[in-house]
Amino acid sequence: MNPPPPPQVLSPSDQRAEAAFKNWVRRLVTGAAELRALEAGEIDAVMDPATGTAILLPEAQAALQGSSRLAMSALDALPGEVCVLDAAGTVVMTNRAWRAFVTAHAGAGLGVREGANFLEACRDASAPERVHAEAVAAGLRDVLAGVRKLFHCDYVRHSPGGDCAFGLTITGIAQAGEVHALVTRESVSERKRTGAARNSGRAKASRIAAVARSGTSNRLLAALPAREYERVLSGLEPVKLTYGEVLYEPGERMRHVYFPSDSLVSLLTVVEGHRALEVGLVGREGMVGSRLALGIAVSPVRALVQGSGTAVRMTAARFLQEFRRSPALQRALFHFTDALMLQVTQTAACNRFHVVEARLARWLLMTRERLPSGEFHLTHGFLADMLGVRRVGVTSAAGALQRQKLIRYQRGNITILDQQGLEAAACSCYRHVRIMGLETAT
Amino acid sequence: MARKRAKADTAGAPVTTVVVMCLYVAGKAPNSVKAIANLEAICRRHLKDGYKLEIVDVCEHPRRALADGVLVTPSLTKVSPAPGANVIGNLSDTSSVLAALGLPASEMQ
Repeated sequence: MNPPPPPQVLSPSDQRAEAAFKNWVRRLVTGAAELRALEAGEIDAVMDPATGTAILLPEAQAALQGSSRLAMSALDALPGEVCVLDAAGTVVMTNRAWRAFVTAHAGAGLGVREGANFLEACRDASAPERVHAEAVAAGLRDVLAGVRKLFHCDYVRHSPGGDCAFGLTITGIAQAGEVHALVTRESVSERKRTGAARNSGRAKASRIAAVARSGTSNRLLAALPAREYERVLSGLEPVKLTYGEVLYEPGERMRHVYFPSDSLVSLLTVVEGHRALEVGLVGREGMVGSRLALGIAVSPVRALVQGSGTAVRMTAARFLQEFRRSPALQRALFHFTDALMLQVTQTAACNRFHVVEARLARWLLMTRERLPSGEFHLTHGFLADMLGVRRVGVTSAAGALQRQKLIRYQRGNITILDQQGLEAAACSCYRHVRIMGLETAT
Repeated sequence: MARKRAKADTAGAPVTTVVVMCLYVAGKAPNSVKAIANLEAICRRHLKDGYKLEIVDVCEHPRRALADGVLVTPSLTKVSPAPGANVIGNLSDTSSVLAALGLPASEMQ
């Protein structure tokens, strides 16, 4: 169905125009009851069959303009910073506090003017804030897509005058069949200054670290207590990982460790004379380069980015230093390494015993778990490498899953249509790794 | 008057007539807002749970209104039980609304 055309708006500027307008309405309205109600001023709109639209009468227009002015004044009176975004993420309305912030911090952080695009501002955010800006952008995309109704995150803005912590909330608003968004932001530092309790500098730093942590969606980092995370944070650097990029080759020295946020990295074993074969998959639940923790600096596998996205990385030397100092990081890494080993052993058995179709279903589910969206881009050749089969095997397995309406596969774009159906089609390895993984995590 | 019988919400409750209505309004325009409030008050008082009300915003669904033969808003249409009826305006005249809905003006509950 086509979207309805907006109500036609006519200017009621002078008396004569209004009289002419009412005469025209009288021509449209023929029934006695309608005319009586019109004369009594009880009519808001008239339908125009010629254009298929509703025409608002001048009084109704004036009243609606008055109520939208009232809404604007109410928005301006709010102490927090508020802006409204349309379905594309463009700022369509701001309140006084938001405009004041934009003026005071020209071009800094996520201070976005009316008419500018919030998603683009997140993308263009400078390096130290990019991790948080990307998390905010991902949250906003989810809200606008209707995937979630509310997103909240605390983040830190670094400036020469000192670090500023903000709490940012994005709420979805249904608007004419689309989802718009209401963004509210308040300064955590401000809240603290005006609050009765005066915290020490140490507690403040800890708070800032806590808010910074919620900016990255890597679960291994999120599991660290605030104080240890705070120390780790200063050694982290946000990076963009691109599909096809190789982080390590087998036998190569690992210069960095990577903590994926919404990217995905495959660990591939390369055997001479054969195609590479995937033995492990790392997403936001873990890290790439965990072998360093065991004291070995050389990678045994090829680490290949198979889902573009963001990550934070740390130099190998700094990682070793942090690993030695932080018991929480050690625990988190032991759990993750155990889960990865479990995944690797199960994958080895799976590649040997299970049919391609069940393996493909398992692999898609594992990928889905590690990514924020149910859609990803993969070529046949890539999938053949992942599963250790020839391309033709992938084609027929993907075709079979598609015929059962479990996935949609078009020009390398895969969408999971039926999660439960796909779980039923996957081999037992998927459930086994999940159950064992949950046990080790608890 | 032929009245369509329908079961009330809970099993075992006495059988009552459910009045089905459709109210066409223009967004948050003043007469439309008044019409909704007036109609809901009338329904609460005279129909309790024995009614179904659909509110159609003609600014969002103009084609629906045109297809239903609505020319001006606010406009209330009684869909069932037969006979159908129509009331135009902000529904502040309770007696004409009750008459259109086929309810006696004296029926106070």
